[in-house]
Amino acid sequence: MNDHVRIQLEDFSQDEEISALKSTSKSMGGIGTFLGCARDFSEGREVSQLSFDAYGSMALSEMNKLRREAIAKFGLLDARIVHRIGTVKSGDNIVFIAAGAEHRLAALEACRWMIDELKQRVPIWKKEITPQGDLWVTQHP
Amino acid sequence: MINVLFFGPVAERIGKSALSADYRPNMRIHDLNDELAAQYPQAFELVCFTAINGEHIRDMSTILPDNSEVAYMAKFSGG
Repeated sequence: MNDHVRIQLEDFSQDEEISALKSTSKSMGGIGTFLGCARDFSEGREVSQLSFDAYGSMALSEMNKLRREAIAKFGLLDARIVHRIGTVKSGDNIVFIAAGAEHRLAALEACRWMIDELKQRVPIWKKEITPQGDLWVTQHP
Repeated sequence: MINVLFFGPVAERIGKSALSADYRPNMRIHDLNDELAAQYPQAFELVCFTAINGEHIRDMSTILPDNSEVAYMAKFSGG
């Protein structure tokens, strides 16, 4: 929980992540957050759960790089990224990103940038479990 | 010895998540690619990224150090 960047099997608490972020600076005037959740459908198919595989050490290293780059690029005071792996049921949390800055614009833009970059750069793979069979996802909608 | 790792859809098509490849002096990453792609053509259709010791590799003429960890990876789909 103290680590700013984590990959974990278990669920996370948005409140605890935001509290941890806020505790790093009293100059924080805005916090932008993104919560990614598991949908119960994909391209017309019912999806009961998702299964995530990751190249753990590289994924963590890339997520740490991403955080450092976001802090430098947007002048953030701090940022946090948490991604779950293993099996996630539809409706459950997958990923949480929080960016804290002096003002809202940097926080919101940094948050958007981090989730877009994460999808492109971090070695994690998602498989949809459906009644018709399992399917690895290869696109970034 | 080279430790070769596969994940997600690539591992599923190969049927395992790791294998060992013999090391040869002056071996380049494209040499290993060619050997494995010939053995596992369906899996290597999916490979978009290669990493050596956790770092993305774009120059496929990079020489592989002994005891390297090489990962062959499909397009990412986290988030």
